[in-house]
Amino acid sequence: MISIRNLSKQYGTKEVLKQIHLDFEQGKVYGIVGENGAGKTTLFRCIAGLEDNEGEILSHLTPLKNHLGLLLTEPFFFPKITGKEYLHLLCQARDIQISNMEDKNIFDLPLNQYAATYSTGMKKKLALTAILLQGNEYFILDEPFNGVDIQSNILITEIIHQLKALGKTVIISSHIFSTLSDTCDEIQVMSQGNLIKSVQKPDFAALETEIKQMTLGKKLDKLGLA
Amino acid sequence: MCNRHLKDAGIHPLLAYVLMTALFLGLSVYLFQSTEFAPYIYLLVALSLIGNLSEKRRTEFLRLCFGDSGMKKIRICENVLASVPFLAFLLYQQLFVYLALLVALVILMALSHFKTAFQWTLWTPFSKRPFEFTVGFRNTFYLFIMAYALAVMAVVQNNFNLGLFALLIVFTTCLFYHSKAENEYYVWSFHLKPRAFLLRKIKTALLYSTLLALPIALLLSYFFYQNMGIILLFMVLAWAFLISMIVSKYSEYPNEIYLAPSILLALCLWFPPLLLIFIPYYFKKSENRLKRLLK
Repeated sequence: MISIRNLSKQYGTKEVLKQIHLDFEQGKVYGIVGENGAGKTTLFRCIAGLEDNEGEILSHLTPLKNHLGLLLTEPFFFPKITGKEYLHLLCQARDIQISNMEDKNIFDLPLNQYAATYSTGMKKKLALTAILLQGNEYFILDEPFNGVDIQSNILITEIIHQLKALGKTVIISSHIFSTLSDTCDEIQVMSQGNLIKSVQKPDFAALETEIKQMTLGKKLDKLGLA
Repeated sequence: MCNRHLKDAGIHPLLAYVLMTALFLGLSVYLFQSTEFAPYIYLLVALSLIGNLSEKRRTEFLRLCFGDSGMKKIRICENVLASVPFLAFLLYQQLFVYLALLVALVILMALSHFKTAFQWTLWTPFSKRPFEFTVGFRNTFYLFIMAYALAVMAVVQNNFNLGLFALLIVFTTCLFYHSKAENEYYVWSFHLKPRAFLLRKIKTALLYSTLLALPIALLLSYFFYQNMGIILLFMVLAWAFLISMIVSKYSEYPNEIYLAPSILLALCLWFPPLLLIFIPYYFKKSENRLKRLLK
């Protein structure tokens, strides 16, 4: 379990996270939604320990970062490192020995090619494979479905279901609502650094309608398409 | 861009340019004193450095912004300007043929359009422990070929200094593998304490740099066995500088190496025993700096 208490974060005078209280339980999948700049990625970086912050982040496995798989929105790759070497690097970082790397290549990635030359979706799949091989207890997936093909989309959804079945905690952000409603038990809505709503599975459809209405409003009328 | 990088690193551009000029002149003089093949090596080094400006995406960007003929003019200007220090030294040495050859080659390089028909991955003996040596070796493998060739030439010509220069190329290249701060994710991912992380980095760097230098060191030890002590001393100093570079890098992490460690490192070059103070001090500083990411 991860407990977040009074989490605040400022960049200069700009407050990007305001007094966040959250609990992420074991064996559950959580979604975080919010407009661009709402603070989702900053929240993830704070949980991971990549950002200094005010407040407390507690977990039953400490230090949290050593049991956390973090999939960044845009994973960074060195220019001349192959997919296989990237997996080696991230596994070695956690002292995990993987002998049959090719067998674990569930996304059929060209592991002997330089990872920096991969497409956006392939990069995401490689980074996801790495954190899965690390055998983490917690997963933060920042837009895992971004840029991946439909087959991989299905595969990632199934992976999340399996992680949940194994009792792992998964936190996802996505701008594709259907992917969240397929995978999550609970969705947290963020706006301007605040958590404004927590929605349980039975109310996902209502949340989707609400977001749609809030987003669209009468914007399309302005275009005069009808 | 260069000035911005220097300022980000806390180094005054003027100071950096003075130091770089001094280093460039020192190495050039040393090379020309060491071997009669210096002009060839000089041309090779110049072309390999200037070749970095021909990077495909960069050239494409220039073509998009300024059109084909504009891009070619800019590229010629860039290459000629970048080769000015080499041209000036060749002029000073009165090597006019090599000077003309270098001008012609850099212009040709600016006008050439390199295409790779297939994607290939260069094999490296360092794949098992990425990333510094894996990436670095792939970027600079030609320097090792050159260094090994120089070592053979040193033996053929019975020129021990040239052999030492070859060793210097190997270790200086390895030093640069640790000059840039990596993305924080690649430090954060390790489940090691700062001390263990630093020791692992140092161990890998010492092992792999020795692996690269070993052919030259063995060759020189066999053919210049009377200078074995100098070779050993050189290796020990090179290892110490490699460790210094690593601890300097992480002492400012995630920022680039700042002014203070750069100046102190330069002082150590002048008076190497300072390394005995420098390394433990910056090791401690690095440990503290890494505590945020490696809990």
